[in-house]
Amino acid sequence: MASLDDPGEVREGFLCPLCLKDLQSFYQLQSHYEEEHSGEDHDVKGQIKSLVQKARKAKNRLLKREGDDRAESGTQGYESFSYGGVDPYMWEPQELGAMRSHLSDFKKYRAARIDHYVVEVNKLIIRLEKLTAFDRTNTESAKIRAIEKSSVVPWVNDQDVPFCPDCGNKFGIRSRRHHCRLCGSIMCKKCMELISLPLANKLTSASKDSLSSPNSVHGSRRGSISSVSSVSSVLDEKDDDRIRCCTHCKDTLLKREQQIDEKEHTPDVVRLYEKLRLCMEKVDQKAPEYIKMAASLNAGETTYSLEHASDLRVEVQKVYELIDALSKKILTLDMKQDPPPHPNTLRLQRMIRYSATLFVQVKPLLSTTQEEQFEELKQKRKQEMELKRILERQAALESQRRLEERRSDLAARATNGEVAPTRRGPAPLRKAEGWLPLAEGQRQSEDADPLLQQIRNITSFIRQAKAAGRADEVRTLQENLRQLQDEYDQQQTEKAIALSRRQAEEEGLQREQLQVLREREREREQGQAASLHTRTRSLDFREIRPFQLEPGREPRTHLAHALDLGSSPAQSGTATKTSPASSAPEPFRGWSGPPALGQEFLPQSTVSQRSEAPSLNPFDEEEDLASPSAEGTASPPAPEPSLSLPARVLREYNPFEEEEEEEAVAGNPFAKPDGPAPNPFEEEDEPPPRTPASPPVPGNPFEEAPCTNPFEEESNGQEGAEPIEEELLLQQIDNIKAYIFDAKQCGRLDEVEVLTENLRELRRTLLGSPCRRDVKSSLPRCHRCGSAGPWAEMAPVCACARVHSCLVSISLQC
Amino acid sequence: MNVVFAVKQYISKMIEDSGPGMKVLLMDKETTGIVSMVYTQSEILQKEVYLFERIDSQNREIMKHLKAICFLRPTKENVDYLIQELRRPKYSIYFIYFSNVISKSDVKSLAEADEQEVVAEVQEFYGDYIAVNPHLFSLNILGCCQGRNWDPVQLSRTTQGLTALLLSLKKCPMIRYQLSSEAAKRLAECVKQVITKEYELFEFRRTEVPPLLLILDRCDDAITPLLNQWTYQAMVHELLGINNNRIDLSRVPGISKDLREVVLSAENDEFYANNMYLNFAEIGSNIKNLMEDFQKKKPKEQQKLESIADMKAFVENYPQFKKMSGTVSKHVTVVGELSRLVSERNLLEVSEVEQELACQNDHSSALQNVKRLLQNPRVTEFDAARLVMLYALHYERHSSNSLPGLMMDLRNKGVSEKYRKLVSAVIEYGGKRVRGSDLFSPKDAVAITKQFLKGLKGVENVYTQHQPFLHETLDHLIKGKLKENLYPYLGPSTLRDRPQDIVVFIIGGATYEEALTVYNLNRTTPGVRIVLGGTTVHNTKSFLEEVLASGLHSRSKESSQVTSRSASRR
Repeated sequence: MASLDDPGEVREGFLCPLCLKDLQSFYQLQSHYEEEHSGEDHDVKGQIKSLVQKARKAKNRLLKREGDDRAESGTQGYESFSYGGVDPYMWEPQELGAMRSHLSDFKKYRAARIDHYVVEVNKLIIRLEKLTAFDRTNTESAKIRAIEKSSVVPWVNDQDVPFCPDCGNKFGIRSRRHHCRLCGSIMCKKCMELISLPLANKLTSASKDSLSSPNSVHGSRRGSISSVSSVSSVLDEKDDDRIRCCTHCKDTLLKREQQIDEKEHTPDVVRLYEKLRLCMEKVDQKAPEYIKMAASLNAGETTYSLEHASDLRVEVQKVYELIDALSKKILTLDMKQDPPPHPNTLRLQRMIRYSATLFVQVKPLLSTTQEEQFEELKQKRKQEMELKRILERQAALESQRRLEERRSDLAARATNGEVAPTRRGPAPLRKAEGWLPLAEGQRQSEDADPLLQQIRNITSFIRQAKAAGRADEVRTLQENLRQLQDEYDQQQTEKAIALSRRQAEEEGLQREQLQVLREREREREQGQAASLHTRTRSLDFREIRPFQLEPGREPRTHLAHALDLGSSPAQSGTATKTSPASSAPEPFRGWSGPPALGQEFLPQSTVSQRSEAPSLNPFDEEEDLASPSAEGTASPPAPEPSLSLPARVLREYNPFEEEEEEEAVAGNPFAKPDGPAPNPFEEEDEPPPRTPASPPVPGNPFEEAPCTNPFEEESNGQEGAEPIEEELLLQQIDNIKAYIFDAKQCGRLDEVEVLTENLRELRRTLLGSPCRRDVKSSLPRCHRCGSAGPWAEMAPVCACARVHSCLVSISLQC
Repeated sequence: MNVVFAVKQYISKMIEDSGPGMKVLLMDKETTGIVSMVYTQSEILQKEVYLFERIDSQNREIMKHLKAICFLRPTKENVDYLIQELRRPKYSIYFIYFSNVISKSDVKSLAEADEQEVVAEVQEFYGDYIAVNPHLFSLNILGCCQGRNWDPVQLSRTTQGLTALLLSLKKCPMIRYQLSSEAAKRLAECVKQVITKEYELFEFRRTEVPPLLLILDRCDDAITPLLNQWTYQAMVHELLGINNNRIDLSRVPGISKDLREVVLSAENDEFYANNMYLNFAEIGSNIKNLMEDFQKKKPKEQQKLESIADMKAFVENYPQFKKMSGTVSKHVTVVGELSRLVSERNLLEVSEVEQELACQNDHSSALQNVKRLLQNPRVTEFDAARLVMLYALHYERHSSNSLPGLMMDLRNKGVSEKYRKLVSAVIEYGGKRVRGSDLFSPKDAVAITKQFLKGLKGVENVYTQHQPFLHETLDHLIKGKLKENLYPYLGPSTLRDRPQDIVVFIIGGATYEEALTVYNLNRTTPGVRIVLGGTTVHNTKSFLEEVLASGLHSRSKESSQVTSRSASRR
């Protein structure tokens, strides 16, 4: 930072950072830069291209994490809505409504207005810096005056100003002329203002400070400055310790000071609040994991160890307690202060506390089982598995008559039903509204069979719906459940068949035939309504009827709806061929509506290859709820295919539907990455030495690195995020080191050079060095602080860049 | 086509875009209502929005550690307030969202006020209507017309609301309107004008069948808002009044302090969501089930928490229990009050006669019943007046019309002047002369046979026989049979296929009974999605205010000669 020590080398004006030509105005500078220097980028561009690609991969990896998070939060929002008690049966996923941004217009108007102000401030600050650059206290007054007069700003001629421009008094022997040291204008003594040295220091150093390590210096210095400035009002100080200026300049500077103060000052509540959010994030990470474990343990599985789970539980519990403590602290913050804080502050604190309480309440932790219970559960599970294996073997043997066999399978399972009640009802994470599938954690477990999960979900829906007393909903759900179970059964059988290798191939063929047959059947079914079908259907309905008689319940999903449609022709026998066909697409829409349901279907393709060892068998639980209906469908052999067909079709179509929807949801956060956070990505800042080397390639990872500069973070007021940013930088540096090594190996010396340059740049960025430029507008950035002023978060050009656009100093490069 | 979700998505997007950190939501009077309909406080708190402020409140503290999300209607006052706010920013950064189209000049003056560069976002998010249910929206305008014509202020507000709705659902519709209503035509033209002007905004992905906007006028069916209702939502509105999902229970005798005002929102009240369309009897039994469930879950005092497991279970279940207890006490109170009012005002009997007046054509028995009820001291003057109004509307041109006699009876009963005047005002508002279609006697053969069959079988529920006229209109519309001479298209193009996405808007206000009709149509007609809207959602009381506000009754005498002439010409 030689420039700062040596005021002689600081030049003022719109200087081009490369050729140091003074271009009179902002716009000229910009156009000059674009014309003269943009061409220089090209030759270096090619060289680092490969590097860029490599680095991009790294970046993608890094960013992906963030991206996933956002997408997730998006879907969550959707889910919590679609189960929000308002029948989601008919509302297909809906994209965000139209919107229109006026931001670019707004910025245009604002920039036009503000530019002159910014330039003004910058000029004043440079001059102030020149004025305070030498040791004022130990220099003679005359010498000071000489410096002030000659080197900073040309003073207005005494003869030109006969009256004080502010108060209109005539100058004479009584009232002498005074010059503003900052702008050179003249005023009388009364209208003159003084700037104390501490204030001047504060103003000029604010930009310097932010360039050397931003966090450490501020805290310590702030106190001293304020204390000194309060002293500075003492009257008997001699004028030389202060700088004369006019009211106008003083006002401008005071405004700037206020902005600096605001930027630096973080109230206690913010610090506590940030901690609180960190804790909440931690819980959001850990809790699902734990819930998954707990659910699995409670089911008697041995995938996770009991100790591990309880450790995790304790950990999460601790974070909960911390959240509680922090929020209490926020609540009582400044309570005893005098005067009492503004009611709004209190309200804010209360609200934070309230939301923390809600957070803790909404997510109660499922408790794990005790040691001995766990043993018991394990035993039970073992038995179940045993039983199932036997059944499957039987199934394999009788695979010729698979339908019949399925019935027996089911019947056997149904007897297993009594195991179910011992399992703890898992209803954690029940959001305030509607029914939800059990827990996020369970959904996230990718290895589990999606069908099983679906079944589990539906069971829980049924339970919830029953609790809510919605008869028709329960009915619909049970209908769903039955189909899923059929489907699952079929898969189970298939698996069993696969086990018995002898008949496997035969079976496969058969299945194919069956499939074809089924499809044909379906086609035929519409027109003819074969007697077989009618018979089975009527059977079906008889079975269902008891449920219809149950107390009032509610809406039907589209699926059920469509199923009704599908079966109605058979019932009435009047339907045309077209009507069922046209109704067929219906269910898909309906299914993708509640995404939680749909998602379960997503990994369908994996189902068939699913490994053995199906996790807990949900049937044991479901059977006691749904066994009558399940038996009902299972017993008549023929309806099976026709009934399961809609479900199959569903399965096949759903993934696409789902993808689309996910895109819509996930797309949202990214489609319009506006707001302050993503801003740096659009207007990447680059280290100048490298700028000529690389044009503004969108998504250039190297542009990424500097823009994650801690300074910007600082201006965001997010200290918490800083380590991550640094980490990113460090990683970047490591990468580059590797590339350098690589390049050296290959003997590509020029590349090595560029890379070394890059590396240096990155290091500098890491240390908080500036030298950056706004690439997008080719606007020379502040060469001293290199960072953002108080507006950095939103201004397209960092405020500081604007502040210093007029004072690119000569000896700028570090 | 879910309006609640549409608005909710907008709000979520705003909050999401502002990034992490503590936030304050700056709103105006109307947007406060809009937001409160789709988000509960606890829900929005989870998104780090901790304070809710009105832009016009003076008592706001400077809190630079907060981000401000401004959701405002683009009115002149709001822009002025915002300019003041930006000159002296109280918060660190501003995200500004307008609920409708804002002019360039306003953007410019805002930009020029933003000297401290605190604005990070300026957008239009078209959540400019009150989303009541997924298929029902309102603009909360009472008294939209002066006489037969629009109040210009309300016309522009309605146009804004309706275009915002279309934008938020991403529909660029064809427009049909009710020919008999001048106001409907005017509104249709205004909407069309906006669509033409902002054609860039209305460029959406084309659907196979273009969506349809049908604009109707309340005066075509003045019967529906005059009837007593028996489904939960409609009944609560009729007897207690729902205002932005809030119900004022302060007049209920012996009400406890925290139940003075309760919120009934299907978004987060499962019981309400499940029962809002059920009738009173069903709710009675459901609420009994709810109570029983609650009793079961209620931790008994004797039951001691002996083991750690017990305690764990208790703590886990406690929040749910607490939530449930809130729900239970709320609904028990509401239903209790409803049943108290029903018996106090003798509503079962009144409603039976109302339904007879609305659905059957037996003049002598209707007259007899009305007369009988007018003698009954338990029937309030309000109910008495509405019976006479219904009679007057139905038998307006009946040969043996005995309205004067009934008016006499009203006077003898001591019904106030205000209500008696309203009888003629209602006829002026929705009488035969005004109606474009026949409200009472069915026209086509199908409808006649239907009614005949109904007469044979008897009705299953006397209190809910009435089907709003909207049902028939929509039914015809869905089947592509809605007559073009009564409901013409605006502009040359017409719809060849049956419509799929339909927005119905009723000038002069919709009712919850119509909302139920639309809900049922949505359920039973696959592939068809209907959204109902109105300048407001009426109960009888607010409807009568609407009639009063239109100022028809005061002019009725002098204009009667003119109108009779025009009527005879027709």
